Amino acid sequence: MTLQQKKKSLIQMQKPMKQMLLALSPLVLASIYFFGWRTLLIFGVVNIVGFLAEYLFARMYGKQVSLAVFVTNFIFALSLPPTIPLYIAAVGIAFGVIFGKMVFGGFGKNIFNPAISGRAFIYISFGYDLTSRFVPPVRGFPGGFSLWLPNVDAVTKATPLVALKNGEVMSRLDLLFGNTAGSMGETFALLIIIAGLYLVIKKTANWRIITGSLGGYAVLQILFWLLGVSGACDPVTGMLAGSLLFGVFFCATDPVSASQTTNSGRWIYGIFIGFMIALIRQFSIWPEAVTFAILLANMFAPLLDYLLKEQKKRKKERAKV
Amino acid sequence: MSTTLAVPVTIFFASIFTNNILLANYLGMCSFLSVSREIKTSVGLGIAVTFVMATTSLLNWLVYHYILIPLNLDYLRFIVFIMVIAAFVQIVEMIIERVSEGLYASLGIFLPLITVNCAILGVSLFMVIRDYDLLSSFLFGFGSGLGWFLAIMAMAGIRQKLKRAQIPRGLEGAGITLIITGMMALAFMGFAGILNIT
Repeated sequence: MTLQQKKKSLIQMQKPMKQMLLALSPLVLASIYFFGWRTLLIFGVVNIVGFLAEYLFARMYGKQVSLAVFVTNFIFALSLPPTIPLYIAAVGIAFGVIFGKMVFGGFGKNIFNPAISGRAFIYISFGYDLTSRFVPPVRGFPGGFSLWLPNVDAVTKATPLVALKNGEVMSRLDLLFGNTAGSMGETFALLIIIAGLYLVIKKTANWRIITGSLGGYAVLQILFWLLGVSGACDPVTGMLAGSLLFGVFFCATDPVSASQTTNSGRWIYGIFIGFMIALIRQFSIWPEAVTFAILLANMFAPLLDYLLKEQKKRKKERAKV
Repeated sequence: MSTTLAVPVTIFFASIFTNNILLANYLGMCSFLSVSREIKTSVGLGIAVTFVMATTSLLNWLVYHYILIPLNLDYLRFIVFIMVIAAFVQIVEMIIERVSEGLYASLGIFLPLITVNCAILGVSLFMVIRDYDLLSSFLFGFGSGLGWFLAIMAMAGIRQKLKRAQIPRGLEGAGITLIITGMMALAFMGFAGILNIT
């Protein structure tokens, strides 16, 4: 190393992360349209706290701040209800970045998806604010661009998933165009699909994981539906409702925490997530399952990778003999 | 399924997932922390723990209900359970040594370790507190063992991957393992409510 080394810029640029940010930006705009300008304040707070959390550790390690932290910030913020108290958002992102990523040595070394870790942490710690204070979205022109926050007198816990579980019928068109209560970024299914497909085409997100998750969910959900398990909706409505699409397209595909060495590993990883989403949504006390499904998959991914590698080795040895 | 079988089967699956002895009750941490470094040794210890847990919960149930209760010695159960577990592990060790040298060599170190694994005593005590019958106790012990096996395997996989990570020096070893265990417990919270045991 020479002393004349170029001074590193503060932020490390990463191409796939740029594409992620580009794909997420329409969702940020949509969330302002649906839920007013307060969402922008949430994005601001989350980004500042997330950046500081990473900066603190990155400086200690002598590294740059990765662009990935902003992707984490936006994914995390988009998964929050629009009425979230700011301190909860700050606690969540700080937990996610520090305990989900930085204690493992920073970008590329983490076991669990940092955004999902942060979300799971506040989900079980502040249950009331995370599950019972949703507001219906604003419609028409200029929508939320003229508002701070939609009418909070109408707070409800009736997100589409809860309504479906109570046997109410949801219009698929409403779900597709975001005409429902929910977290800031999860309601507009069509936009999520378009942004997700952009990532698949750019090869930032792996299509095997996405297809596996959606397929796994569909298979198990069709089974529940046909067996007439109480509160089981049809798989298409179930897929459009809640954060399933958002989680599958943007979080499950995170290459660091996913099964990352083989294609068969990616398939198994995806299908496992799909199964877990259907199972936890249907039977557990949590209305939203995607967070836990992805954490569980993250937890078993390294073991899966190891077992597949061992199997390959054994096959090779047998071929030699 | 008849109701007489439904309860023990529910207990079996609940003790693996919703009431995982390690991730929900945080029992059996010591050997979990120290042995999960390698996958191969984790498999060995996992099998041994599962076997001993299932058998000792059965033995302790018999001892409790046919010896301690009739003699009114209920208050001695902590000591008696530990003695049963230690004696059983000793006997198993001797049998394995006679029967299979290879298995003894690969398991040898872990067998004595099991005696001090608090999860095993914990299973026996839960079984008494919750008033299980014989079949439920056995399946509870077996399920808890499998749950512990599952957790240590996942942890061993993660620690294998961590060999490439750069963990801050102060957190190496037990520190980072405890943090990961916390995250694993967080993930297992997702199963809450799917099955209930009392």
